Amino acid sequence: MSAINSNRHLVSAIKTNPLTWWLAGISLAVAASLTNNLSILICIGALALLTIRFCRDDSPWGYSIAFYIRLAAVVIFLRLLFRIIFNLGTSTKDAVLLLPSLDFDLGFGNTLKLFGPISGLALNLALTDGFRLAAIILSVGMANSLANPRKLLKATPGALYEIATALSIAINLAPQLIASLSRVRRARSLRGQSKGMKAITGIVIPVLEDTIDQSMGLAASMSARGFGRKGNRSNAQVLGARLLAFSGICLIVTGSAFLLFSPDQQVLDLTLLILGLALAVISIRLSSARATITRYRKEPWRKGDAVLLIASIALVVLAFGGVLRT
Amino acid sequence: MIQLKDLTFSYLKSDGSKVSETPQLNNVNLTINAGEFVLVCGPTGSGKSTFLKALNGLAPSFTGGVITGELRINGTDLLGSEPHEFSHLVGYVNQQPENAFVGDTVIDEIVYCAEQLGLPVNQIQESVIQISELLEITELLERPLATLSGGQQQRVAIASALVAGQKILLLDEPTSALDLEGAAEVLKVLQKLSSQEKVTVLLAEHRISRVIAAVDSVLVVHGDGSVTKGPTATQFNDPRFVPPIIELGIKLGWKPLPINTIDASAKWLETKPKFSTKKTFEPAEEVLKVENLEVTFGNVQAVKSTTFSLAGNQISALMGENGSGKTSLCWAIQGSGDRTKGSVLTAKGDTADMNSDERLGMLTMVPQRAADLLFLATLSAELEESDRFAEVEPGSTAKLFQSLAGRIDTSIHPRDLSAGQQLSLVLAIQLVKQAKIVILDEPTRGLDYSAKHALAKQLNGLRAPNRTVLIATHDIEFVAMVADRVLVLDDGQLVIDGYPTEVLGVGMPFASQLAEISQEPGLISIEQVLL
Repeated sequence: MSAINSNRHLVSAIKTNPLTWWLAGISLAVAASLTNNLSILICIGALALLTIRFCRDDSPWGYSIAFYIRLAAVVIFLRLLFRIIFNLGTSTKDAVLLLPSLDFDLGFGNTLKLFGPISGLALNLALTDGFRLAAIILSVGMANSLANPRKLLKATPGALYEIATALSIAINLAPQLIASLSRVRRARSLRGQSKGMKAITGIVIPVLEDTIDQSMGLAASMSARGFGRKGNRSNAQVLGARLLAFSGICLIVTGSAFLLFSPDQQVLDLTLLILGLALAVISIRLSSARATITRYRKEPWRKGDAVLLIASIALVVLAFGGVLRT
Repeated sequence: MIQLKDLTFSYLKSDGSKVSETPQLNNVNLTINAGEFVLVCGPTGSGKSTFLKALNGLAPSFTGGVITGELRINGTDLLGSEPHEFSHLVGYVNQQPENAFVGDTVIDEIVYCAEQLGLPVNQIQESVIQISELLEITELLERPLATLSGGQQQRVAIASALVAGQKILLLDEPTSALDLEGAAEVLKVLQKLSSQEKVTVLLAEHRISRVIAAVDSVLVVHGDGSVTKGPTATQFNDPRFVPPIIELGIKLGWKPLPINTIDASAKWLETKPKFSTKKTFEPAEEVLKVENLEVTFGNVQAVKSTTFSLAGNQISALMGENGSGKTSLCWAIQGSGDRTKGSVLTAKGDTADMNSDERLGMLTMVPQRAADLLFLATLSAELEESDRFAEVEPGSTAKLFQSLAGRIDTSIHPRDLSAGQQLSLVLAIQLVKQAKIVILDEPTRGLDYSAKHALAKQLNGLRAPNRTVLIATHDIEFVAMVADRVLVLDDGQLVIDGYPTEVLGVGMPFASQLAEISQEPGLISIEQVLL
């Protein structure tokens, strides 16, 4: 791993294929989701942050990580809070926090228990859970800050172009929403504070309208510049290409879901995933051949990409091999 | 090149009925020739944007509504096609290029359309070289879009719209957010495109006084559904949007009407009209004192140590190029904006120390993006809410709004108003409060000339010994009409503080058009010209 962090000339965000960063981010996230070891989770989070620190470029995009760090902190905090509030333990043995318990009678003999004594083990489990989510968030955040989703568009195969465009606009929406929220809040204070519902709608409505307006403006500009043209393909060909791409994605998603949620039958799950991946690749190849979009400057594969990819694959293999599990 | 036959367009409500009795565009018949440079103008909210969007399918595809008739481009009727089916023939550039950018760098953005159309890579290469030379952006190709000035961004947007060899270019108010220099850059490029490259240019604009000399013909969207097109001098008989140069010619009975500064200058020399000195208002007591104010964002000093005071009975204009710090200064004075140093003292203390209620009692501000202040579902609800909040007689805001924007159906949604009408609404909401300090950031963007006159009248009506008005703007003619004092910011520094007759006078960088025409010291606005 040290090769990735220390040598910034080998892998800087500008000189790396954006797809590589997303694959690396996803690998980190997969590894995080498979391990129960708190220190490994912390390592993964730190690795993501260090990678950003050393590989990002100066584009405004590179600074979006602050948002992900805050989100990760909130997630850890909430996970702990929920564990303390919805605590089902009663025994005071091993308890590290002795909170009085609150019982609510829900009728029909059901009671809802809140708070109460909480054991160190329960806290540790909640903390691990929180850090796992945080590590996944930071891994995705890493990919997002190092590879602008718009750049990613250039590296996607033609058949997935429309889906990738929709996704990149959706990912763009979050920073846009935050920017427009702070602007509208400031502007609203000029009008005067309303009370009750109006205070909320006074912020929410302009923000939503602004975001929708901006997205529609972008969509209009793309459409006016030829996005969505069928070219010389017939409707049936376009539909066929979309169906193929869609089924490929479905297979990958099903395969990975099985793998993550029923880790007992790994051989079967892995076969499913590999089958799905193979089918997806074939369908993408088939439909990309018919796509009518030119790529003016394709992102090439470089040495840095190979290093990153090998490291990512190694990480995932380790995670699956159970080395990272405890 | 473009032929319209009985073109009719109506907006629809959600239940499928038409929004108004008369269609937005009603039986439009006209022809636009190859290489013609057409100015599209009309009063605020008349449907200039809709007209342009109808020419490349964005209306009704992205606006809703129904369109009928014939829309022939190079002889083929494309009515009802999706915008992407127009994309190899028609380029489109809108008001805010930064919202329409899909790429990160200039080159990414320029090649986008060519990529979508599937042009071969070597052809794209040639085309990029050619178009970037034409638009003078060759040096910028590898730069990130976010680092460009407004004028440069607009030129990139134009390059991106023409990269696939499109011969028709539609521009929806491309200079409304630009300073003088940026606007001049864009206009120069458009002239070159139409004369050298035979590109048909349709340019919708509000600030038309400096554009009309450059165009071949003028197309007017009247707002009642009718659209007319003809030589420039014949098209300005609607007093709502007569630009100052034509207003001057009409006022003095000049025939034929001069449409450029040179002709008007000759006519002025020949007739030597009389004019009065500009009416001045004595400044009253000091209302606001800005002392050593500094604003820094990261390592950018937006406002450098600035000191001045604003007096009652006074309307001050704050001018300067894009990025010179006008908006930062406005927000810092208002009190909620960032401040690194300094104070802004009023009768009730520093604005930064006030809570938002105290601030509202003291000052009112219209920000650049006025629509952020609107949040209710109908125009009438917004107007009533404003009356209630300002504690004024019911109907006061409506009356003020009507004086700025004319009579408008109050059951419509504020988002369906045009940009100029939304701005008028927010101006009405903020001015009706009669606050002691009034700050307006770009209050004339998208307003027609009659709305600007009405706004000037309202601002003059607000004059009081304990009230001061500060207007940040690029609009020289508006400043000439209304201001008593002009402050000019350059790179965050207050460089000029003087009377409008000096700052906007002959030979100055911000000279008003009338000063240029007449070459008379002390003459800047048409109100001064005597019959």
